Amino acid sequence: MPIILKNVNFSYSRNTPLETPALRDINLQIERGEFVGIMGEKGAGKSTLTKLFNGLLKPETGTVRVDGLDPSSKEVKRRIGMVFQQAADQFFCKTVYKEIAFGPLNFGYSKKEIEERVYEAIEAVSLDQTTLSRDPFSLSGGEMQRVALASALALRPDYLVLDEPITRLDPIAKQEILESLQRIKKMGTAVITVTHNLKGFFPLLEKIVLIREGRIAFQGSRESYLEKGYTPLPPIAAMMKELRSRGLGVNPSIFTVGDALEELLRVKSVLEKESTQK
Amino acid sequence: MIRLEKVSYNYPDDTPALKNINLGINKGEFIGVIGRNGSGKSTLALQLSGLLKPDAGRVMIRGMDTREPSKLPEIRKLVGIVFQNPETQFVGRTVEEDLAFGPENLCLPSIEIRKCVDMALAETGFEKYRYRSPKTLSGGQRQCVALAGILAMKPECLIFDEVTSMLDPESGITVLKTVKKLNKNGKTIVYITHNLEELHDVDRILVMDKGNIILEGVPEKIFFDVSLQTLGLALPSLIELAENLKMHGVVIPWEKTSSPQNFAEEICRLFLKT
Repeated sequence: MPIILKNVNFSYSRNTPLETPALRDINLQIERGEFVGIMGEKGAGKSTLTKLFNGLLKPETGTVRVDGLDPSSKEVKRRIGMVFQQAADQFFCKTVYKEIAFGPLNFGYSKKEIEERVYEAIEAVSLDQTTLSRDPFSLSGGEMQRVALASALALRPDYLVLDEPITRLDPIAKQEILESLQRIKKMGTAVITVTHNLKGFFPLLEKIVLIREGRIAFQGSRESYLEKGYTPLPPIAAMMKELRSRGLGVNPSIFTVGDALEELLRVKSVLEKESTQK
Repeated sequence: MIRLEKVSYNYPDDTPALKNINLGINKGEFIGVIGRNGSGKSTLALQLSGLLKPDAGRVMIRGMDTREPSKLPEIRKLVGIVFQNPETQFVGRTVEEDLAFGPENLCLPSIEIRKCVDMALAETGFEKYRYRSPKTLSGGQRQCVALAGILAMKPECLIFDEVTSMLDPESGITVLKTVKKLNKNGKTIVYITHNLEELHDVDRILVMDKGNIILEGVPEKIFFDVSLQTLGLALPSLIELAENLKMHGVVIPWEKTSSPQNFAEEICRLFLKT
């Protein structure tokens, strides 16, 4: 069962002079277990889109269904975990334990069940058990982001929705979060992330949704995104695209250093052979 | 322009944030600062702008000591700072009003204030957002408004603290281009980032770790320093590709590794002999 958006339109400040259209004609399906990147320029409507999934925003017209359920239902709040850019914005408890236990507590699980879920969640994000007694506001940026992730995971969501989860982290902390997300995805949870960070996320994405001015400009596999020449691209892919536009016949689906090296050397030897034959 | 002499500073809980820093920044220089979270980069930025005072040592901004309260108004005019979270520095109901706030505080006549605001909007290409509320703009747009707000004060030195970290790559490039243009027009720039790629063409890079400047030099030297890896800073992929190609006899000069377009141009020149 997937998240399905049908003919969704959404505007901010509706029926006021400040009405601003944010999303238009959105048709989208996201399956469980997928790793999805939502990309697009600033102000394109990416964050707005994710807020429709769990009913934080309601569509003006069209429908949103999560596994067939209405997004405003409590069950959907459990099935969709949300993590925002600034982890600290969603903290309000005195210890990391209480922070992570807050969600399960609200769903009325037993004390034992809650404890089990807290430990399971910190393991999934590789947080040390000693962190549990600490004040979440005293943690480093990377640790905070992992606590936010763990809080979402404690409800054992089927879909984890992240809004720019690594933008404010340093490279080592970024890597830690990316590794956690890969593990979470392997456990069968869909990971849906709004991202600009092509360097970190691009190799992990199975599906890309590109939003331009409130509309879906592209949705499909990473390979087809590369082949069709959409932007933004990671630097290597951008360079390969530029080579093609300059008439060099290189493979468009390449985006890693290793593959690019191999491809460039192949093209070089082909060109050299051609010129000696002449 | 700015000189730090044996500057130390501790966080309120006594953890050292800067340890005995000596640093000189010349007028018109473009300096990049890189390092892990908590390495002291942002504290350095606050010291450079006189927003924090050193616990030991002194910070001199064009001969003025930042510990001297009477010099602060002059220092604020000289050094502007753009932060990570632009929303924390908005005060106006509209973009225009927000940009006017700084010049207003400098007690400029209103005709001058208007000129400052117009200039800042033009420099950032934000004329069309003049009457919007900063709150209704996206994260990237807000960052540009924050930059425009500082430009309206006509500072000589601008400090940027991870300003592109929230932006999509294309807006990040636009902001960086604006910063480079400001530098070309004579502004002194201190640019703090996590993204090594952004520091490809700066004059000098400072690498910070645990409150110290552990490396200092031109990008061509710093990028290849092995200690960067321990900080989790991998070589940008185009430079890594250039290094690999070099081992196969294809030499891409440093300046051609700054963008995918320049890189591709050089490959075509080499391969197609055009």
